[in-house]
Amino acid sequence: MTDTNTLSKIQEKARRLLEDGKVEVVIGFAAGTVPGKSTPSFISAKEDCESLVWDNGCSLNLAKYVLKEKRKAAIIVKGCDSRSLVNLITENQIKRENLYIIGAACPLSASCAGCQVKVPVIYDELIEDGSEIREVSTIAERRYDDVLEFEKLSAEERKAYVYGEVSKCIRCYACRNVCPACYCKECFAEKSLPQWIGKTTDIGDNLIFHLIRALHVAGRCVDCGSCQRACPMGVNLRLLNHKLLMEVGSLYQFEAGLKEDQILPLNTYQYDDPQPFLAKGGGHE
Amino acid sequence: MNAKDEMDAKDDRKIVAFLCNWCSYAGADLAGISRFQYPPNIRVVRVPCSGRVDPLFILIALKNADAVLTSGCHPGDCHYTSGNLVARRKFSLLKSLLDFVGVEPERVQFDWISAAEGNRFAARINTLTDQVSKLGVWDRWGSVVDD
Ligand code: SF4
Ligand code: SF4
Repeated sequence: MTDTNTLSKIQEKARRLLEDGKVEVVIGFAAGTVPGKSTPSFISAKEDCESLVWDNGCSLNLAKYVLKEKRKAAIIVKGCDSRSLVNLITENQIKRENLYIIGAACPLSASCAGCQVKVPVIYDELIEDGSEIREVSTIAERRYDDVLEFEKLSAEERKAYVYGEVSKCIRCYACRNVCPACYCKECFAEKSLPQWIGKTTDIGDNLIFHLIRALHVAGRCVDCGSCQRACPMGVNLRLLNHKLLMEVGSLYQFEAGLKEDQILPLNTYQYDDPQPFLAKGGGHE
Repeated sequence: MNAKDEMDAKDDRKIVAFLCNWCSYAGADLAGISRFQYPPNIRVVRVPCSGRVDPLFILIALKNADAVLTSGCHPGDCHYTSGNLVARRKFSLLKSLLDFVGVEPERVQFDWISAAEGNRFAARINTLTDQVSKLGVWDRWGSVVDD
């Protein structure tokens, strides 16, 4: 589903930015080698702007690539990429002023279930195509059907499913590498002093990796789905992400990457925060 | 397993307790000094603050233990002002995630126990040990197969 009008506006904008010397590189998508999968592209010559695409294959979250970009860059973003940029700005990983953001509505024909932020939340220029622009304040707390369905199962069934999923994992870390929220210089999964978890695909190591990965992106994940798309083994990574997205929403009324003045929920606290663990796990009699 | 072996196995259950230096550890100390009885199943790890307890510690502890208790100062009483308040958010999320993936709620617990609550500490360990002994065999993240 290529919207030629949007695409030509994107290409034109990219060309102008390079021509005027406003940026040295444009980060966007070009056609991939596999049909239906577009690939990230770093364009520094204005003639190459014609190779940019904006189609159903542009599902990856491009914000990841800004982290290592030393040049003055422009980036073409859809809703979730822009939310990751907001996160990276508020986490002091990138500087807003070093970046030119070209926003366009998400081009995916089958968008992620329940996505309310198809149009970017920050941009220097928005390529408008008539898509609905949601005010951040109108974005409702999200309910995820996969989580709600899963919670209907018994504890044994849930455990069996999760064990089954993580046992597929070959620990290639593609999910982590693709995620814009995963930028630690040294990931807990690879620390050697101490070595927290083994490097094997032993079920225990896999479980701990998956649970901690999900917790490390809790309150920061924007549900772009890149992790799951990157996984070569088809592990259902989004289920745990969705659970924590819902939990953060209901406990702390927070969704990541919507506002540039956000305070991430795990960087702060309230004196009267809920303490669900005391009610459920024994505790105060 | 005959009945006796099973009893022994239950008595053998190990519980790791991460206790903060300023409140809960002192509470455990007071329980000892006051000669309050509690079962020997717990292995105490003293930490500077409940805020130091990374969810990773808890998951790793569960590779070799049947349950984990983390306890710090009551909210408002943290030696470092807010360590336990930051911890509380991490614990809430960890706890809901573990419930979600089907780990029994009794296996991972959190509490606030002050330095003056020696009796409550002993009572807490009694209840905890009791709860854990009633649970099925913990698979230690898949490494132990229930027979
Ligand atoms: S955890 Fe997955 S869905 Fe969430 S931000 Fe990272 S890549 Fe996107
Ligand atoms: S991408 Fe898939 S297989 Fe690779 S580490 Fe992540 S979950 Fe495991």
